Amino acid sequence: MADTLVHADSHAHGHHEVDPGPLRYTMGGATRMTLLGGIVLGVICLVLSFFMDETAHHTRFWSNWLHNSVFFLGISFMSLFLVAAKVLFYSGWHTVFKRVFEAYAQFLPVAIILMAVIVVGVFTGATHIYHWSDAAALETDDILRAKSAFLNPIWYLAGAIVLPAIWHFVFGIKLRKLSIQEDEQGTADFDQHKSMRKTAGMFVPIAAFSSAFVVWLLIMSVDAHWYSTLFAWYATASWLVSAIGLTIILLVFLKALGYFGQVTVEHLHDLGKYLFAFSIFWSYLWFSQFMLIWYGNVGEETVYFQTRMDHYPVGFWANLAINFVAPFIILMANTTKRKLGVLTFVAMLVVFGHWLDFFQMLKPGIFETAMHAEHDAAGHGDEHAGDLHMDDAGHAVAGASHDAAGHGDDHAGEDHSTGHHDPNESVHAVHGKSGEHGAKSYAGFYFPGLIEVGTFLGFLSLFFLISLGALSRANLVPVNDPYLEESLHHHVV
Amino acid sequence: MVNTSDSTYVETSEDVHVDSVHAGGTPIVYGLYDDEVELIEAVRKAKADHLDIYDVYTPFPVHGLDPVMGIAESRLHIGGFVYGALGTLTAFGFMSWVFTRDWPIIFGGKPYFSVPAFIPITFELTVLFSAIGMVLSFYLICGLGPGAAEINIDDRISDDKFCLAFATKGIGQADRDQFADFFRSTGASETSAKVI
Repeated sequence: MADTLVHADSHAHGHHEVDPGPLRYTMGGATRMTLLGGIVLGVICLVLSFFMDETAHHTRFWSNWLHNSVFFLGISFMSLFLVAAKVLFYSGWHTVFKRVFEAYAQFLPVAIILMAVIVVGVFTGATHIYHWSDAAALETDDILRAKSAFLNPIWYLAGAIVLPAIWHFVFGIKLRKLSIQEDEQGTADFDQHKSMRKTAGMFVPIAAFSSAFVVWLLIMSVDAHWYSTLFAWYATASWLVSAIGLTIILLVFLKALGYFGQVTVEHLHDLGKYLFAFSIFWSYLWFSQFMLIWYGNVGEETVYFQTRMDHYPVGFWANLAINFVAPFIILMANTTKRKLGVLTFVAMLVVFGHWLDFFQMLKPGIFETAMHAEHDAAGHGDEHAGDLHMDDAGHAVAGASHDAAGHGDDHAGEDHSTGHHDPNESVHAVHGKSGEHGAKSYAGFYFPGLIEVGTFLGFLSLFFLISLGALSRANLVPVNDPYLEESLHHHVV
Repeated sequence: MVNTSDSTYVETSEDVHVDSVHAGGTPIVYGLYDDEVELIEAVRKAKADHLDIYDVYTPFPVHGLDPVMGIAESRLHIGGFVYGALGTLTAFGFMSWVFTRDWPIIFGGKPYFSVPAFIPITFELTVLFSAIGMVLSFYLICGLGPGAAEINIDDRISDDKFCLAFATKGIGQADRDQFADFFRSTGASETSAKVI
């Protein structure tokens, strides 16, 4: 089989033979030290965010933890989805590097542990990142009460732990085990491959539906009053693009180290097409959600975008520039997808861009919840509370839609049913306050600061440490996969 | 696998075909191959021998054939980009003009110049212009379209045969022999001559 691996590439290029490199990956000392250093940086940033925080409940720490955990949970989930989908759809071109997807999927159990920290926070009330988990808000808020059958800690536990655990422990482990077993015992009967097809056939529809629940609970519910039926697709598309971007980055890195000689520019060209196509798919979903809400112009819906455009403008527009305009313009031509430097640059840009996208999804809602929790804790007569509410008028509006305590319980319901007050106004009351009075800067909430970037690098290092470890525990190339020959001869142009 | 014996090797006189096909065409000799790998090797050898290939006909796009033939990358996609950009400008420009200058109407309280509302149609026209423009360009470049003369060397090149053709206009017997040797040595299952 090793013979085939050598010849395949020489055939593809016609004249020169390419060294396929070692069949096993061993993590070098420099790589390990860099990744461990990244993790240390991440831990330092997390500690800093815990103490250097201008909110009352360490919300900067909690929100950063959630942001990065969700990001990498999704990336490992989408990698598992790609493994399953490609087995199911008779895909052959990717087979030579499919172990990278498998290795990324091995991060899932770690992501579950990361999410467990948030779950503990939700159950104990230590976090104030989810509006629906706020007991004070729940007492007075009709909308939250009506949604509490779904938006509650038990369902959150299901979304953050149980569903990802089913992905990994029911399907992920089995797909991985069969894949490695095929390397050792694979025959021309392709028993393992057939078994993988069955497992994948069960996993793909389950993953498609369950991922929506996970997105609703983990991400969309930070804006508990708001919802969008497109949101789950939009968030999963963001994960998918990130997973593809990281795959490109890792393949180019491993090729530079002398591994994966069989992975040619043809494979990377197709990954570049994926990056291009799914970036546009993401943009399409982003725009569809935006345009429908913009056209419908219903206050309960537009508040989501108004908050982001008015108070998070840099991130809002940078999101579109990085995740749509840049890959669209740069990767449009055939030639740029075949230049590894350009492709890697775009992949890095887009991975960061989608991390920023999740920042935009999570932080505004979390910030608002944290501010209200802070306000509730401080009490209304306190001067601290006055800091949050502009004046009597603003105070009344904010109180009506979010925390009617002290204003009479029926007041809240009345306002919602008659629609006298634009819910947007309460957002201005919260967001406008911090900016106008300049009492607090709330670093790390309006735009990622150095601590946020450091935390991201820490989680990224952890992700690579785990997945490169998984990569080193199996052959880099699935030597007995029935589609290996097709993959080795893959040609795009 | 390939029978190169003289019994199946058909040398046809050029003159016979001049009568049967319209005069003034290009006389060619061609070989039919059973397999695209053989074809690519034959093309590679023809290039090495400095033989001037007239054209290659295959039932499906053969990967790796273009670089071996030395065909430059098609510029059709550049045309596609230009047509698409034209579609973008047409749609966006037209809607902007209509809704701000020519016939301003307020839709749902939105401003006259409502960019998000223009984007779907801009997208559609970009795709439409790009697609139609590329099809027309392709037809024009390849001389295809309604009423175009049909060049069909052999029915089987749209089924399971791979054809390599050389032009034979004004060549001598020595060159003709060279082509015959070439087809024999590269494993063509049949050869023939024609005027197309």
